[in-house]
Amino acid sequence: MSGFFSSPSRAGQPVGGLSNRLFAAAMLAFVVLFVGGWLALFAADVAYTSWDAVGQVLRAKEIRAALRLSLWTSGLSVLIGLVFAIPMGYALSRYRFPGHVVVDSIVDLPILLPPLIIGLSLLVFFRTDVGQFIESSGFKFVFQKKGIILCQFLASASFGIRAVKLTFDGIDPRLEHVALTLGYGRAGAFFWVALPLASRGIVSGAILIWTKAFGIFGPLMVFVGAVRMRTEVLPTTVYLETSVGRIEVALAVTILMLVLATTALVGVRILGLGRS
Amino acid sequence: MIVVQQLRFSVGPFALQDISLEVARGEYFVLLGPSGSGKTLLLESLCGLHRIDAGRILVEGTDVTRLEPRRRRIGYLPQDYALFPHLSVRSNVAFGLRNPLAAWLGPESRQVDELVQLVDIEPLARRKPRNLSGGEKQRVALARALAVQPLLLLLDEPVSALDEQMRDTLCRQIKGLQRRTGTTTIHVCHNFAEMLAVADRVGVIHAGRIIQTGTPQEILQRPRNRFVAQFVQAGNVLTGRAVSAGRGLRIACADGVEFRAARAGPASAGHDVSFIIRPENLRIARGEPSPDANLLPGTVGELTDRGAVVQVSVACGGLSLQALMGRKEFANLNVAPGDRVTLTIDPDDVHVLEAE
Repeated sequence: MSGFFSSPSRAGQPVGGLSNRLFAAAMLAFVVLFVGGWLALFAADVAYTSWDAVGQVLRAKEIRAALRLSLWTSGLSVLIGLVFAIPMGYALSRYRFPGHVVVDSIVDLPILLPPLIIGLSLLVFFRTDVGQFIESSGFKFVFQKKGIILCQFLASASFGIRAVKLTFDGIDPRLEHVALTLGYGRAGAFFWVALPLASRGIVSGAILIWTKAFGIFGPLMVFVGAVRMRTEVLPTTVYLETSVGRIEVALAVTILMLVLATTALVGVRILGLGRS
Repeated sequence: MIVVQQLRFSVGPFALQDISLEVARGEYFVLLGPSGSGKTLLLESLCGLHRIDAGRILVEGTDVTRLEPRRRRIGYLPQDYALFPHLSVRSNVAFGLRNPLAAWLGPESRQVDELVQLVDIEPLARRKPRNLSGGEKQRVALARALAVQPLLLLLDEPVSALDEQMRDTLCRQIKGLQRRTGTTTIHVCHNFAEMLAVADRVGVIHAGRIIQTGTPQEILQRPRNRFVAQFVQAGNVLTGRAVSAGRGLRIACADGVEFRAARAGPASAGHDVSFIIRPENLRIARGEPSPDANLLPGTVGELTDRGAVVQVSVACGGLSLQALMGRKEFANLNVAPGDRVTLTIDPDDVHVLEAE
């Protein structure tokens, strides 16, 4: 019993009495309630679907194409998201400028807004002169695969930026100051001190971006549509299968998404966060 | 030589005010002051972590005031050492050599090895900072700062986080290392004993101003004002009224107790003055005292054992004066609380302070 509610490390663990164990039990009860609730939902999905439906999903070339599209678009969204999240998180953490609070709030807006609005706003933007110019320059987004990445990036990058900024907030700037006295410029101090120390937060940011990008659906419906074998990602498949009444197949796709997401999240946490 | 001219820098309501300082090449200079006096801010300004409002900083004749920290050749050891937690001890030491590969393979490798040996951290080379004790961290941070061969080394309370014994040992090591490398050093601390252990010269800083500079003995025996006197634990810091000024000074205190000071200092007759008599300069006598000395009859009060010395409290009129006596001297005199004694004070040892 004593080991059940123990800290990750036994070193430095204070001697606990009954009240401490009750407190830990109360805290963990919420974890059990939340995780148990979700597991119950997943279990219901698994129970509802059939092996036939799962086999159908794994064999169907439309769904395999949607899976491939989901994986590479969300992967690319993570890369583009990190390209923005790392410098933006650092800039918002380290530099103060007029309007800092406003800019910081704008970065959080996509977290608050309904995702559908992102698709709608993109559609409207690409009808403006600037948008038309971009489209006519060869960068076509509307109803295109590139549009999927754009939607995923806009809907998910804020989560990554927030995670990376919080990580840089937690790194003592004096470490970089010391690097400045050891012959490094600001860039050197960033690359050799701040960036390696932020690796854990960057991995967390990448996870957040990917989870959001992988599961996004609303803005895609509006901006790129739900065209089979063309702009269909797995959430679109779930929608399309549900709309024609094939609930078992839709749930089988959901289970496929859950297995993929869980494997990826646990794997990244073990490889990335565990090592940091 | 390091020259600081009229340096001014303010952060919110606090300001470094017209700091001027000269530290000779190879000198070990200690900046002594209480917490919040601006010591760390001054060090950070010197190494370029703050853009100062006014003044100049010259390192070996080069004006570095507007240079980036990396171009100043000033090594900095912060108070909490700020070791890079993601790097091993060896990589921390090699960090300033810019080329991590060369630090392991190239000619820099030998330089790192020498430094690691110099500060005696060879067995720790592969460890991460989180697995080091305070003293070990301090030595790693020192080696890291020395690796770039700085013209000036700034040490911000380098031993304040350590226990007393470790502090003494490391102070001796730092001083020895500084002698061997010949690096001009400014060491910031608020501990008087630490200052005595390492300083060639001292500057006392208070509320963003340097109040007094001098050798440790000058600061100790001739503090400029009441703040410095109290900060260097001058012991008997007294006030009285200057009765006559000329070559010397007579000072009248409460209950008719009078002192003669050999030098009037800044005091003028008729004005209140502050003065000090260091406890080790007070002599307690039973026999005939010297005719030139201040003679004060008094009664022995509290006796406090301070290890190598005994502190004797003597009530003279309305004053309570503290005297320090060696253990042997104390045993020979054989005084006890309540004994009537005569205090003897050489007028040379009565030092009149400037008004603050």
